Formats: sequence, C-alpha cells, structure tokens
Amino acid sequence: MKVNGHLVTSPEPDTRLLDYLRDELGLTGSKEGCGMGECGSCTVLIDGRPACSCLVLTGQVAAAEIVTVEGIAEHPLGPALQEALIKNQAVQCGFCTAGIVVSAAALLAEEADPDEDRMHAALEGNLCRCTGYGAITRALRSVRR
Amino acid sequence: MPEDPTLAVAAGGVRRPEGAAGRMVGRSVPSDQARAAVDGRLEYVTDRRLPGMLHGAVLRAKVPHARILRIDTTAARAMAGVRAVVLAADVPFNLLGPSEANGPVLAATTIRQVGDPLALVAAVDEGTARRAAEAIVVELEPLPVVADAAAALSPDATPLYPTGNEAGRISFASGDVETALEAADTVIERDVFTPAQEHVAIDTPGGVAVWESGRVTIWCGSQNPGLHTRQVARAMGVEVADVRMIAGPVGGAFGARNDDPMPTLLAVLAKAAGKPVAMRMTREETMISGAKRHPFSTRLRLGIDADGKFIASDMTAVADTGPYLTSGPFVLKTSAEMSVGPYRMGVARYDGRVAHTNNANAGAFRGYGVPQVAFPLETAIDEAAERLGVDPVELRMRNLLRGGERHGLYGHVITTGLRAAETLQAAAGDEWWADRKAWQAKAQGPWRRGTGIALAVKGVGMGSGRGDAARARLIISLDGRIRIWAGPNHTGQAIDVAYRQVAADTLGLPADQIEVVVGDTQLVPESGATAASRSMYAGGAAVRAVCRQLLEAAGEHSLDDLPTLAAKLVADERAEFEATFHLPDVSDTGLIDPEELGTYAPHLVYGASAQVVRLEVNELTGEIRVLGVVCAVDCGTAINPGAVIGQAEGGVAQGLGFALMEDYRLADGQPVTRSLENYLIPTIRDVPEIRTLLIAGDEPSGPMGAKGMAEVVIVPTAAAVAAAVADAVGVRPDRLPITPEMLLMARAS
Repeated sequence: MKVNGHLVTSPEPDTRLLDYLRDELGLTGSKEGCGMGECGSCTVLIDGRPACSCLVLTGQVAAAEIVTVEGIAEHPLGPALQEALIKNQAVQCGFCTAGIVVSAAALLAEEADPDEDRMHAALEGNLCRCTGYGAITRALRSVRR
Repeated sequence: MPEDPTLAVAAGGVRRPEGAAGRMVGRSVPSDQARAAVDGRLEYVTDRRLPGMLHGAVLRAKVPHARILRIDTTAARAMAGVRAVVLAADVPFNLLGPSEANGPVLAATTIRQVGDPLALVAAVDEGTARRAAEAIVVELEPLPVVADAAAALSPDATPLYPTGNEAGRISFASGDVETALEAADTVIERDVFTPAQEHVAIDTPGGVAVWESGRVTIWCGSQNPGLHTRQVARAMGVEVADVRMIAGPVGGAFGARNDDPMPTLLAVLAKAAGKPVAMRMTREETMISGAKRHPFSTRLRLGIDADGKFIASDMTAVADTGPYLTSGPFVLKTSAEMSVGPYRMGVARYDGRVAHTNNANAGAFRGYGVPQVAFPLETAIDEAAERLGVDPVELRMRNLLRGGERHGLYGHVITTGLRAAETLQAAAGDEWWADRKAWQAKAQGPWRRGTGIALAVKGVGMGSGRGDAARARLIISLDGRIRIWAGPNHTGQAIDVAYRQVAADTLGLPADQIEVVVGDTQLVPESGATAASRSMYAGGAAVRAVCRQLLEAAGEHSLDDLPTLAAKLVADERAEFEATFHLPDVSDTGLIDPEELGTYAPHLVYGASAQVVRLEVNELTGEIRVLGVVCAVDCGTAINPGAVIGQAEGGVAQGLGFALMEDYRLADGQPVTRSLENYLIPTIRDVPEIRTLLIAGDEPSGPMGAKGMAEVVIVPTAAAVAAAVADAVGVRPDRLPITPEMLLMARAS
C-alpha cells in the first residue's frame, strides 16, 4: 500500500483504513464523524476514487494508492482548491473540510468544469453542518474557472 | 496572517454596512484555522494523543426508566488491559449541577433515559474499553416510562422527582386577553408541534484529560469553558482554579456543547486511571444521549381588528426537556419573550411549561426556544393575511415594532438599533418575492410553485437581570506585540478573527501586530458562553474596552512605535489591562417588576431576520424542492461580512432541515433515530442558492455598531417554508418537519 506517495508496511488486514491512517500513521486529517459512511469526513482517494475510509478494511486496499487530505497538495488542482476554500470562507469549524477537499479534488481531476449536478453528485456524501454549502460551492466554482 | 486586502465579499446582494470604513472592520477575513484545516494539519481536541494515554468508554443505559439494583464490574475489571472502572460511588460529588434534576455524573440509583452513563472504563485501547464496558453486569427493576410531555404534567403521571414533573413555568399577561379576543374581527388559531432536533456537529463529543499535582487539564470542546470548569470542580471536589479547560479546536457546536457532560466524564476517568485518558463518543452515543432542541406543542390565538392591527396574542406551550435540567427553564424564557415576535400587540399572554419525561434530554440549540414559537406566530400571520386579503408583508408592516418602542408582551423599551422593518422590506424587495405571482404561473406538470415570507427576532445576550458580562485581557510585551485573551470561544464562527478586527481598528494598528487567544480558561478571563448570539456583541465590546484602556494609558505616546511604548508601560507597571463589558439591561422594564427582571430576562437588543422561500411541491408525491432562499439579516455593523454570510447560510440550512426533514424520534422512551442513516440533515443537494442581505444598521450599545445574528437566521425559515407550501398547494402544515406523507394526507383530507 502507498499512502500519499510513500510505501507503508502492511497493516493487519482487518484494521479499518481510517484507524490505520489516524492511529498507526498519525495522519489525523481524516476525521470520523459517524463511522457508517454517512458523513464523508473520512473521505480519502483510493486509486484516485473517493471513498469513506471508515468503511474500508486495510486488507481490501493492500495494493492500492491512498491519498489523504495531507497529500492533496500534491494533487493537480489541490493547492488551488485549498486556497479557494480559505478565501471563500468555506472553512468554519473545519471538521468536514478534509473530506470536502478530497471529494472536490477527485471531481476536479475528472472534470475541469463540472456543472451544478456533477458538483452535487460529487459532494452530496460530505455533510457540512456549519456553512450551508454556499461558500463551498462558491469556492469550487472559483477553481473551475 | 490570513487577511487579504483584495478579498471581496463573496455572496451576491451584500450591502456593506454604513460606518464600516475602518481598515479591518467590514472586511471579510477567513478563520485563522482555515489553512491548517484544508491541509489536514489542524489538531482538534479529539485528535490529541499524549504519551502513556489510556482510552475511555462509557457504559450507557439501554432502557428509559429503571431502578438500579446492582452493578457488577468483576468481569470487566478482570479483562486484560483494563486500568480503571468507575461507578457513581467513586465520583466525589455525583451531580452535574446544584440540584438533583441537573442529573448525576453517573447514574447511581435510577436510570431516567436511554443513554444515561452508568460506568466509565479506561483501558489500553478503545476496543478493550468498550468491550469491558459491555461486560459490566447491570440488574434493573423497570419503572413506568413517562413518554409524553403533556401527560407528564397531569396529576396522575409517574413523578420523575419528588417535586413532580414540572421543570419550569413562565406565565405572563399584559392585559385581559380573553376580552380582547372576543372583540377581535378575526381570530386565527394555530395548534402546532415542532420536533426535537439533533445538532449533528460533525465532531462528536470527546477529548483528553490529564491530572498533574492535583490539577486537571481537559482538552474538550465547550461553548462555555468557565461553566465546565465549575461543573468539573464540583464533581471532583477541587477548586475551580485547579481545573483548566482548553476548549478547541472543535468541530461545531450549535448549542450541543453548552450542556455536554463530556469534560466531567473525562476528568473523573483520568483521575481514577492515574493516567491521561482520551475518550470520544460514537455518533450513536451522541444521538442517544446528547441534548436536543426542545420539542414544543404550542397553541396560539391571534386576534386582529378591522384595520389589520394585532390586538391580542395568546400562546400556551408545553416543552419536553427530558429527565434532566440543563437549559429547559431558560429556553422557556426566550420562548415567552419572542412569542410575540417583533410586533406591537394590544394585549398578550404567554403560558409555557417545561415537563420532565423519560425522553431524550433537551437543552440549548441555536435559536433557543424561538423557532418553536416563531413557527405558530408567523404561520398565523400568513393565514391572517390570506383570510383578510392583505399582502403578508403589508400586514406585518402595519404591526411592526420600531427601534425604541415597547415590547409586545412585557412592555419594556427596546434598543433604537432594531431594523426589523428595513429587514422585512429588503427581503420583500428581492425579485423572488416581487415576481412570485408571475413565477408561480409558470409552474409545470405536477410541480406546483409557491413563495413564502416570514420574519423573526432573537434577543442578544442572556437577557436583563442576569448579570451577563464578558471580559478581555490585554498585554503589550517588550517585543511590541499585543496579545488579547478574550471570551466567548471559537467553535466555528471565527470569532477570534472578528475580535482582532475590532482591536485593530480601535488601536489603529495592523491586524498582524495583534494576537487573540480564546477558549483557554487559564488565560481567558470568565466571559460566559458562546451562545445567545452574544459573542460578537459582548466579547467584541470587551475587546474594544480593553483596547481603549491601552490607548488611555498610552496617552500622548504613539502606538506607531510599540516596543518603545511597551518599555515605558512595563517600566510604569501598566502593561497589562483587563476590561469587563456588562451587557446593558433594559432601563425601562415596562410591565415587569424590576425586582423580577431576571425571571423574565427581557432583552434590550435584538437581531432580526426576514426570509423568503421559493419552492415547488409535487402534487402527486408530496415531494418538496426548495429552489431559493432570501435571508435578510439585521446584524448592525457586520464586522466580518463573509463570516456573517457564512453564519446566515449555515443557519438557513439548519432551518431548512428543521422545516423539511429533521425529526428526532423516540418510541416509549427508546430513541428510534440513532444514526445519520435515519436522521437526515441537508446535503449540498438540499440547500438552494441563499441570497444574504446584510441590512445597514448600527447598534448603539454594540462594538462599532455590531450585534449578534447567528441564531435569528434559523428562526423564520420553517415558517417561510410553510407559507410557501400553503401558497403552492393550499395546505397549512401544523407540524414539522413537513414531509411528503404529511402533505399528501393533508391534501387528501
């Protein structure tokens, strides 16, 4: 398994990916908000596709490339996206932000100019209770332009 | 520093407030924590790890009401890796507040709701702690479950406490309401129910506690760190000064972290374990045992004369606070005061009661009892407008309270800073309201179109007679830096940034020479809660006051050369300042006996919000699609407009959830909605474009004209949605959330 470009030692196969990232690798940027795949705060990229790391066991991704929020700055558009979220005041408490950053990076990598529907589809798995999503939407629009 | 002078306010339709010509005030400045949050580097209290740390778990009650006969921890203690097991008898003073009804830290003799903590376990890892907690054997004798608030108040109900089930009551009349209602040309009656609402801060309660030399440091989210230090000190039998709360970074609050017992649970377990302990609640634990918005059953009769004047309002309410007293009686105070909205009333009466039940404990939630009374009042006004054939904006304008006038229930004189009329007019001026008839006419297929409007006010601060105050401390150090420790804490609103904006403009200094720290009780003087829409208003005013002390001490010396000024002030032993801002009480208390001011706690200052909702209803399925919301906000000077807009949009989104999908349910005391799989909150797909309009205003008692606004924005949303539904399909919802099933059934009848 590679995490943010680094080869890592194989963890126990029945460890939740989220726990492995947070407790073994110290990558605490991915957050647990529900543990049931409902809130999206633990979203990471698995071979480029966003997934809830609370629903994945490390044995399922033993040969995968994982990118967490800590590695997103290396992702195409990552820094621009992060900058846009800051400037548009899309970070309030910031707890859902890691998942938003990862989901949005995956979307923008796939589609440089997503329409509203695509944006909704890409982010509807990321719950934010602070912003009402307005600033997040404005941030994403500013990046795609 | 995050300040970016080129940054423009992002949302459309923003009006820059007048009098915001300062260098920092009026500019949109991101949160200081934003950069670390987008990089994943920001360490929340629930991310914190200490060497040698143990992990905690809570054994929680699975039944709503029972007598505890025996708790056997033998098996749990024998498990490998278990370091401590704590029961009620191990807690020095086993109460979360001064009275029995505040609830125990750990249940000792009686279980009163599902989720009551019975035991704490510390172990080498979380899995072991949770397995050990489940290995504890509990023998119970079931007791009758009190599951209905109205029934709980009847004389033959099972009493949860020796004094009965009434946890609080507010009853007040400004005159003879019955006679006035008889004389009214039109009387609108509403009988409504608004449900319990779950906060769903994405970060569940948790943190770390460590004891060193008889003192405890607790990293745990809190909206009221000072209150939590007192709660911990009481339970542990130590001095308040021996408890340090570091209340962030934390992932959201919305009222949930006012009443959260987690700091006390952490302190108790870490003491018993003799090691640092981390503990975090799962989402299910949070949903079962965390506080909710109070469910309310409310009846209203609104009497209107031939000229469309409101001549009488009579509201009765029953709120379900669950078994424990946290905010219930205080929630009722704001309900009573806001039961007449921002309107003149010929006479008014409010009679509200809070009941104890074995349902989920209810506490503080953004809006604090006001959405529950605004829903019946505003929907009654909308119904009246329809019945009288008067435009709903016009009907409100005829009755609106202006700044400096007397409150509709208590008759106290309110601030001259209220801009409710301007706020309503601004919302109604938006094309979504102005063009609603033409837009409605273009509806197609089964999707019927409707537009609704509603207005609300919410008091700023704890209210008169409560001794509400905030404080700030300032030090100028020899390196020329200014440090300010200020109250109400940041739980997501970037309040520390706004304090710095106020300080920068008060001192005439660049913001990057000023550091602001919030949320640490060892550094920040007691400033009360991040609640009651008071942070910007009270905390900002304290910051401004402490900055003025520095200016006064500096005298003719310039602040351009801070190191020189600092050297002089240090030599004079005058380099440290502390200021207190006492929130002003009403000076004319109207009908309230001044001796009883705190009983009713009327406000001098109110924020207002008027909202327009446009939506479509599918006639065949009852589905509702919200297509846009206009949110006009009377916030005085917007210190950080982008942050204000963020609060407005977030509040409206929570209001839409309350209106359309959020419904915390129990069945005979058993929580049904235990996870985000069956308790739904709005996703990005559910929240339409929100047009936020910041209304030019100036609150005379606030810092640079600012006042609080982050609660009032959730208040009118549900009523505006209901009005839009009525406009679309002719059904007036009388309970929330407005679901497709309910709409179809209402249309069928």
